[in-house]
Amino acid sequence: MAQIHRMKEVQRKEFYLFSPFLRIFHWIMVVMILVLFGTGIIIATPLQSMNLEPAYSTTYVDLVRDIHFVAAFVFCASFVLRIYGFIINRGDRLFPRFWKGYFYAQTLDVIKHYMLVQPNHASFLRNPLARMSYLMLYGLVAIEICTGFAMYYMTEPATYIAQAFAWVNIVCGNEMVTHLVHHYAAWAIILFAIGHLYMVIRSEFMEGESEVSSMFSGSKFLVHYPQDASEVDPSAEKS
Amino acid sequence: MEKRESLWERYLRKGMSRRSFLKGCVALTTMMGLSTERFQEVVEAAETQPLPVVVWIHGHECTGCDESFIRSGAPLASDVVLSQIDLEYDHLLSAASGEPFEAHLKEVMEKYKGNYILAVEGAVSTKDNGVYCMSGGRPFTRMLQEAAAGAKAIIAYGTCAVAGGIQSAKPNPTGSSGIGPFVGNTPVVNVPGCPPIPEVMTGVIMHVALFGNLPPLDGEGRPKQFYGNRIHDTCYRRPFFDAGMFAENFDDAGAKAGWCLYKLGCRGPETYNSCGNLRWFQGMSYPIQSGAPCIGCSNSNFWDDTPFTKRLPGYGKLGNADKIGLGVGALAAAGVIAHAAGSIMQKNKRDEAEAKAAAKEEEDKF
Repeated sequence: MAQIHRMKEVQRKEFYLFSPFLRIFHWIMVVMILVLFGTGIIIATPLQSMNLEPAYSTTYVDLVRDIHFVAAFVFCASFVLRIYGFIINRGDRLFPRFWKGYFYAQTLDVIKHYMLVQPNHASFLRNPLARMSYLMLYGLVAIEICTGFAMYYMTEPATYIAQAFAWVNIVCGNEMVTHLVHHYAAWAIILFAIGHLYMVIRSEFMEGESEVSSMFSGSKFLVHYPQDASEVDPSAEKS
Repeated sequence: MEKRESLWERYLRKGMSRRSFLKGCVALTTMMGLSTERFQEVVEAAETQPLPVVVWIHGHECTGCDESFIRSGAPLASDVVLSQIDLEYDHLLSAASGEPFEAHLKEVMEKYKGNYILAVEGAVSTKDNGVYCMSGGRPFTRMLQEAAAGAKAIIAYGTCAVAGGIQSAKPNPTGSSGIGPFVGNTPVVNVPGCPPIPEVMTGVIMHVALFGNLPPLDGEGRPKQFYGNRIHDTCYRRPFFDAGMFAENFDDAGAKAGWCLYKLGCRGPETYNSCGNLRWFQGMSYPIQSGAPCIGCSNSNFWDDTPFTKRLPGYGKLGNADKIGLGVGALAAAGVIAHAAGSIMQKNKRDEAEAKAAAKEEEDKF
């Protein structure tokens, strides 16, 4: 029989991780990525509007593009919150520690568990695989932002802001490739989202890691003491 | 060096009136994409500037740019070649040939060192010491390097000269590339297109001829007045795009009615050229107007962005990125379900083992 602990029976410690800025940013990002992906797919393969005369029709492709652009600007602007959170709060800085030797051993440990070859892995506030996947997500988002602005601002190639992003088209080879990179990276983000959604639900309900609830409350309430606790808990660092 | 004529002096010598000279200057101002306020400058330059010496060489290419050039309507290509520039050497348009012709080139390059304009058409073939493109018995690479060293400015005509052209398409057997790496520090104007619009070709050469400097260039070295707009943003079919009215096939009602060719792979949204506003052959038409989606011929590497008639390239039987994305997404979802089932089984086993261990501990206590 599996042991069932009721909340009150177990001693839990609170770890404050995510500042409100990061949490608001996260949920803005969720909505914007969904909006951007949906409108983006329509822009790449627009549906026939069944109009017979453009003068008397709704300009729906134009509207969808405008929604895409507004969502993109909102998403970019929300990075102000993310960066402010990163500056003021230790828990917002849980990125991979590539320069630490133990990071690789821990990664291997987590991979073994996720491949179902070992029954569990050491507990983390954020495990090394998750850290790397979030870094990868930010990389994909950066690609989307750079290629997106490179396409958007090149309607007026002579402006300063267009010149600031013109290098993207040169790196890609030409602007058509920029479009394709933008489209493919969008799919990569959606695939990330599928895995992310599964992994956080899995660790919330199977590992007792409060991955989902902490993105609402900001805190994790854990039975165990995570290996990377010192990154948010200065007192642990001292002891 | 003997004194060379200006445009006005040539008009005088040919017995043409001041009125027709001024009319010619109006046409030039428009053609160079300048505002009418600069008409005075154009007249002054045409009166005083000696006609430029132009050397026009051809590399690895199809000579299609010349075909375009000789169809220039305003001004007529014949006027440009015979009255408005001193075209001293041109592989295609010159009557002379053979050794005297090559000797003339050498003479011109020495006589007008640092003063002539070099027009280059065609790519540079770099593989195997450039033997795939020979000119006058020597690799074209050598000819280009020598001619570029003494030129005041270089005009790279056509996508071949700018970025290598169709012969540099994968796998690029001749190692073709644009002229950029072979011209040293001589300033270059890129005039891409396959071919460029005739009036753009004459416009650029007249700008360099009259003002003695390069026209304002964008980040890729193209003259802003001709390459400053997307075809998509100047296209007369744009309202159909905004309204979601697309030709889905080349033989459907939408194609017949002249709706947007976006879904047939039109590269207008990625291409910078004057097709939409200047159009071709005295404003007669341009590819999109004739029902053919733009292939983006003024973009570098456009030849590798196949298929030209699809928005998203397909990958064999797998289909395009959207189909692959959906498939991989479905696979990921299936993987998630399988992994979740495996994890639940693993967790049950783990909990059982823990319960057993706990029970044993309890037993051991007593």
